[in-house]
Amino acid sequence: MAHDHDKVLESIVGKVVSQVESDLISQIESSYAQSLDRLRASRASVESEYNRIVEAASKQAENLKRQIVESSRLAVRNKQLLLIEEAVNDVFKHAIARIDSIRADERYESMMRRLVENALDAIGTDAVLECNDSDRDVVDRIVLELQHKYNFSIEIGNSIDCLGGIRARSKDGSIILDNTLDSRIERMKPILKKDIARLFMV
Amino acid sequence: MVARGRIVWISGPAVKADGMAEAKMYETVYVGEARLIGEVIRLTGDTAFIQVYESTSGLKPGEPVIGTGNPLSVLLGPGLIGRIYDGIQRPLDDIAKRSGAFISRGIAVDPVDKKKRYRFIPTVKVGDELEPGSRLGTVDETPLIKHHIMLPPDSPGGRVIAVESEGDYDLEHPIATLEKNGRRYEAKMYHYWPVRRPRPLREKLDPEIPLITGQRVIDTLFPVAKGGTAAIPGGFGTGKTVTMHQIAKWADAQVVIYIGCGERGNEMTEVLVEFPHLTDPRSGRPLMERTVLVANTSNMPVAAREASIYTGVTMGEYYRDMGYDVVLVADSTSRWAEALREMSGRLEEMPAEEGYPSYLASRLAEFYERAGRGIALGTPERIGSVTLIGAVSPSGADFTEPVTTHTIRFIKTFWGLDTRLAYSRHYPAINWMISYSGYVDSIAKWWMKNISEEWLKLREEGYYILQREDTLKEIVRLLGPEALPDEEKLVLEVARMIKIGILQQAAFDKIDTYCSPAKQFKLLRLMVGFYREAQKALKAGISLADIRSMQIITRMLKAKFEISEEEISKIDALYDEMIEEFKALTAREVKQVVG
Amino acid sequence: MVEVGVEYTKVSEIRGPLLIVEGVSKASFDELVEIETMDGIKRLGKVLEVGQGKAVIQVFEGTTGLSVKGTRARFLGKTMEVPVSQELLGRIFDGLGRPIDGLPEPIAEDFRDVNGAPINPERREYPRDFIQTGVSVIDGMLTLVRGQKLPIFSGSGMPHNILAAQIARQATVVGSGEEFAVVFAAIGVQYSEAQYFKRSLEESGALRRSTLFLNLADDPAIERIITPRVALTVAEYLAFDLNMHVLVILTDMTNYAEALREISAAREEVPGRKGYPGYLYTDLATIYERAGRIKNVKGSITQMPILSMPADDITHPIPDLTGYITEGQIVLSRDLFRRDIYPPVGVLMSLSRLMKDGVGEGKTRADHMEVSNQLYDAYARAQEVRALSEIVGKAGLTGVDLKYLDFGDAFEQQFLKQAVDENRTLEETLRRAWDVLSTLPEGELTKIKEVHIKKYYKARG
Repeated sequence: MAHDHDKVLESIVGKVVSQVESDLISQIESSYAQSLDRLRASRASVESEYNRIVEAASKQAENLKRQIVESSRLAVRNKQLLLIEEAVNDVFKHAIARIDSIRADERYESMMRRLVENALDAIGTDAVLECNDSDRDVVDRIVLELQHKYNFSIEIGNSIDCLGGIRARSKDGSIILDNTLDSRIERMKPILKKDIARLFMV
Repeated sequence: MVARGRIVWISGPAVKADGMAEAKMYETVYVGEARLIGEVIRLTGDTAFIQVYESTSGLKPGEPVIGTGNPLSVLLGPGLIGRIYDGIQRPLDDIAKRSGAFISRGIAVDPVDKKKRYRFIPTVKVGDELEPGSRLGTVDETPLIKHHIMLPPDSPGGRVIAVESEGDYDLEHPIATLEKNGRRYEAKMYHYWPVRRPRPLREKLDPEIPLITGQRVIDTLFPVAKGGTAAIPGGFGTGKTVTMHQIAKWADAQVVIYIGCGERGNEMTEVLVEFPHLTDPRSGRPLMERTVLVANTSNMPVAAREASIYTGVTMGEYYRDMGYDVVLVADSTSRWAEALREMSGRLEEMPAEEGYPSYLASRLAEFYERAGRGIALGTPERIGSVTLIGAVSPSGADFTEPVTTHTIRFIKTFWGLDTRLAYSRHYPAINWMISYSGYVDSIAKWWMKNISEEWLKLREEGYYILQREDTLKEIVRLLGPEALPDEEKLVLEVARMIKIGILQQAAFDKIDTYCSPAKQFKLLRLMVGFYREAQKALKAGISLADIRSMQIITRMLKAKFEISEEEISKIDALYDEMIEEFKALTAREVKQVVG
Repeated sequence: MVEVGVEYTKVSEIRGPLLIVEGVSKASFDELVEIETMDGIKRLGKVLEVGQGKAVIQVFEGTTGLSVKGTRARFLGKTMEVPVSQELLGRIFDGLGRPIDGLPEPIAEDFRDVNGAPINPERREYPRDFIQTGVSVIDGMLTLVRGQKLPIFSGSGMPHNILAAQIARQATVVGSGEEFAVVFAAIGVQYSEAQYFKRSLEESGALRRSTLFLNLADDPAIERIITPRVALTVAEYLAFDLNMHVLVILTDMTNYAEALREISAAREEVPGRKGYPGYLYTDLATIYERAGRIKNVKGSITQMPILSMPADDITHPIPDLTGYITEGQIVLSRDLFRRDIYPPVGVLMSLSRLMKDGVGEGKTRADHMEVSNQLYDAYARAQEVRALSEIVGKAGLTGVDLKYLDFGDAFEQQFLKQAVDENRTLEETLRRAWDVLSTLPEGELTKIKEVHIKKYYKARG
């Protein structure tokens, strides 16, 4: 009886043990599988994370490279613009310095005549002409020549400081025309710049 | 003696000139050294106010103004069709040949090539007594348009002394000599007509034939008659221009005049690019062979915009006099009114509402009065029509602004575009609750004779469903759709089907863009038929849920673009299938009740 | 001879931004005027009205500090011009086109009238090249095409400039991969906004192919009349002379219109709505219509004006008249902005008129237009149902209505919303579109043809 009892007990214990054992085993197995899964998953996510980081970094690098390349290109170009500007200004300076010498040229007087006529046409009423000392004689002559064409008085005013040409104003001062070479050169500068710059670029 | 004056003042398109005692009101003048084209719009003493049709930038006081002795006129003769003109009838392609892609000023070009030769076939003979406006002969202008060469309406008429035999002649060649009261004169294949003077008709007729536009909401619900008037106001983005383009494409007229008045450049380009490739569903010929474009876009000089409307309508009347049905669409009359306002402001006239001049209403009335169907002057008898359709661009989509309110007084069909419908992409966004047509009764005869006796009845039923839905929607807004009894829910359901299956129409879908009257009728019958059957089914105890889940509904809604014109009998088959499905539903219901 | 210009010294009146000079005999309408004060300060202006010895001059930099005595006006015998050349790219100028980047005046290939001339409609090329912006809502539902003018209607504080900058960075023409030259005109905007734009271009390496014109909030108001015209004149040169594809961004056109109103008021003109001049439409058109393509010319001008709607009111004259001229509009929604959805594009009020010509088989994809229509239709219904559910609760809604509620959320979260630096391909945009459309029962897709539904619709459950 007792033996039987033991046997039963044993088998129950055995069963319990084996149950526990199998539970354990299955638990271990499942946790193993789980951790394996986790590992696999984490590897995948690490991998994708890694890829993402690399991709973002390479994208950023690409952007950075682009940014650096483009901005240095821009810097070079800008330097160039400054150099050209300097050269153009030099040319103008030299040109202006030589203007005095053209006064001897016979074409100078006809140019002055055009400047005076143009100014008188624009003023259209009693006018005062101003010029520098070197041009005074020429202007005197031109006024004498032209006076008959206009039905208003033409006076010659005080000397002004300029390279050449004249400045005209109406007697009452309400109309002015600045036909000095200084102002004409200033107006022409933007137009001439292109031609001068082209000489340097070639 | 023509006027020769000097400019004394300039402000934008308005110029004042002195020494103009010889000038006449509305005379065309050349302004400045650049010979810009202008028109005298007011005379005070010897000072003329001139509106200049080109940019006045750079114009100086002291420059000359020279009169022409003639009022602003257009050339009428063969060669107009297929062309694109600016507001004063200068061909834009010829301008481009002179000045490139950008329009420059002071370009004088003939509206048509006067050297081009046309084959003239005389229809009168020596000795015939002709009334003014009578036909002398014909030329083939395009494969679609036989151009009638007519005596000008203001010519004296008289006896034919000589007429050219059939042959090729250019426009300057005299094709006939007439004599009246001992005075002889020659007639050419073209003449000029002042744009601000309507061309006379012998007799006006009632508009009783519908203008079929192929647009379901228009033809079925709010039709316009040939020779009638319609306005289409709407805020931006509501599809005015698309609707105007659709009418210009598909309307069953022989000649279409499209006026782009102060609108986008690309819209004119679109017509120019598209029309040569689209074919008229009736003749199978390219649409460009019946179309004349007048384009004065928003960035072109504002005064020429004012003139463009008159230039267009005068050409329209000319083709009407040949016996053609002409449709003129003007997009947009608001920009024309604004041009009027701007000139009025520069002249410091006393403004009425919102700065518009007090004569705005009378100018609008005069314009729409030039629509009509009638018998032309002279012989043989020719019946033609000009249908005028004007887009209106109310500021802030507010229909109470002056241009809209005044326009409504002079038109009979009103297509009110609705911003809310446009937002939900219900196109064309013509609001069926505010739109109307004064032509339904007079054109019903045509539909019943040519399409079906049932038309008027079905239209009324369909329209009624939409009106009921509008009332019910108020309740739904407050209580939700579940608060309604099934019978009323059915109204909502069918109204939805009518909206999707009939009213909405995709202008850019190959099939849906044009819907023939027969197809329109079949679709209407399909939807209204569904309503009738569903009402019966509800009474027989079938649940609304069962009706809603009927398989056929989606196919009914897509019939408009899935079934082409060539196979419209499929709509009848769909109709029969729909009836069968209801029968089956009822049978199942009866079985369940009995079983 | 070069015109040096007659000077007149008899100033009779200074009124607002206007200077009135008497005794003028040699002036023309629209002529450029140089104004010089007693102490030698120079300003620019133009003739608005001339005759009977009087010239009315609009002074761009304002009349502050000018006096009747000692002020001289020199009439320069030409309309206002800007120098143009390729070297304008990579440069920064003020609102009148003068350099403010420390570099010299540009060397001009040519001088062009800032007013431009109207493009002959007969010579226009119809725009139909799809531009991929990488922004789903634009590519999918408001497609931009090369040569289009599509404004952004915004309100104060909303991210219109961020969106415009994103478009400027990302815009490419599919297939060609060509990038745009960018011409940016700041019209009375804050320094920080202009700076954001500049930085954004810099960081994407796009500054080298951009030209910036800056009239900032504290710069003279009347100058704003000129700024967009200067910018567009340069853009026209780049596009139609140098064959470049140019994207022009004008921000903020509301400030432009206000400057125009100021001049109109000073001239005592009869005002139209809200005090704006009756010619506001025509005037705006002379700016907006300077976009497009020309036959046989490779370049194009795509214009994206930005304007803030006073009080978010779309019926205000400025957005209203703009909408009548431009080819659609992108409207930003205050509601979406508050709900933190970027880009906060209120799709129902937005529209691209030229989309129909830029999409479809052979250009993007055959289902593109129908998908777009269906999205609009469904989102409109979703908005209706949302409003209804506020009143009657979800219980009062039908089953289909509930589906639309879900659709509305999915649309906003999965399709509309995206990151500022997220550049989506068209494929992805359309995939997202079908994803959200697939939340609806198949029978609801009434705007899409069967063939496309068969191919792309993803049945659920």
